[in-house]
Amino acid sequence: MLKKRLIPKLLIQHRQIGSMTRPVLVTTRQFDQSFDVGDPVSQAKIYQAQMADELIVLNIDRTLIGSDKLLLGIIERLASETFMPLAVGGGVSSVEDFGRLLDHGADKVVINTVAAKNPDIIDAAASQFGAQCVVVSIDYRRDADGTPRVHTDRASRRTERSVVEWAHEAAQRGAGEIVLVDADRDGTGNGLDCALCAEVAYSLPIPVILSGGCGIASHFSDGFLDGGAEAISAGTFFAFRDQNPIQTRSHVRNSGIDIRMET
Amino acid sequence: MTVVGIIDYRAGNIRSIRNAFEHIGCETRLVTDAAELNGVSHVVLPGVGAFAFCMQRLSESGMLPALERWALVEHRPLLGICVGMQLMARRGLELGDHEGLNWMGGKVLPLVANGARVRVPHVGWNDVTFAEPFGAFTADSKADFYFDHSFAFFDPEFGETIGRCTHGQDFAAVVRRGNVVAAQFHPEKSQDAGIRFLEGFLAL
Repeated sequence: MLKKRLIPKLLIQHRQIGSMTRPVLVTTRQFDQSFDVGDPVSQAKIYQAQMADELIVLNIDRTLIGSDKLLLGIIERLASETFMPLAVGGGVSSVEDFGRLLDHGADKVVINTVAAKNPDIIDAAASQFGAQCVVVSIDYRRDADGTPRVHTDRASRRTERSVVEWAHEAAQRGAGEIVLVDADRDGTGNGLDCALCAEVAYSLPIPVILSGGCGIASHFSDGFLDGGAEAISAGTFFAFRDQNPIQTRSHVRNSGIDIRMET
Repeated sequence: MTVVGIIDYRAGNIRSIRNAFEHIGCETRLVTDAAELNGVSHVVLPGVGAFAFCMQRLSESGMLPALERWALVEHRPLLGICVGMQLMARRGLELGDHEGLNWMGGKVLPLVANGARVRVPHVGWNDVTFAEPFGAFTADSKADFYFDHSFAFFDPEFGETIGRCTHGQDFAAVVRRGNVVAAQFHPEKSQDAGIRFLEGFLAL
């Protein structure tokens, strides 16, 4: 039986260290404050040792990833030093970027703002690289009346799009997976948005990855059981807490959810 | 001397495959021309993208006659991965009806989604049950491998299905015809189980 997945999220920013620019691993709170965690490649190797099922790697600066040699170098190192699937994104601007990222070792490409602005990129990328390669990530915040609205540009720009409608459109155009990220829960540890995830997941045939708000292990089982998520992705939870994917995995397993227990 | 030749026909995630074999300690080489098979002991046929796209790229590469001789006449070790496996079917029904290599017979058909229980694409870790021993895997053993696909090989005719997986339907996860082995999952992305699988192939 297909197992549910735990996906550590590696957010990467450029930092000026002396005269050098270096990509560093960070976590964020509500997409705003960011905290340095360390080196993305060392952390990825730790996650691999802790049996992470996959990694999501996102550039959260405004640089274009397809021409960012530092970031492409990091992807290349991640692909050569870990043996698990890598979904990479943040600053993807064209279908050609898919080819560049795959050439550097990514298995899937995560698109967000570029897809919201130009949805045709989903169709084009899916027909060239296959649906399994196209991951559409949706950042959202709720309006005062509670309506979740798609936000772009690192969740800084509100659009009129409904999250559910946009997820449906993305799937129809050929997305292989959807990532839902509640920007207001990001980094808070207050729990996942299971209600919206369930609405999306139970009305779509493709897998939905839920993210934003994991603070305790039971938030993961909630996301699987109540949210209908196929996978849960977390940055802050795995990076800072005295928690790791192995412990979380045991909790999830004990809640009756089928999850990988040995490599 | 083990030298793994990875067929580079511009339709595969070659880097990861190369990394995995190098991690095991093999020499690897990208093969873009039949002459480069010289000195190679094991061939890997990757594949990412649509069936027809991969089939066309492989035909255009000019390497097909040499690969058929390698696999079917000389019976030397060859591993197909993901779409590299599917190409070995007689026909593939992804975006039309296309002829495959027909090394294993059978058809590649879409996986059928079924509500929240069976989602397509089939993405993630699923258990493979081995019907025959392969490398470190004994008959009846199970191991989790990483899958990412929307189409599957259901009925290989010439080869033996030595590994099965279920996602709504039962499909072939590993087929073998002599020294030609093909896997629907990505061993290069399947952590320890994947490395053990590749070691099984290298033992051929």
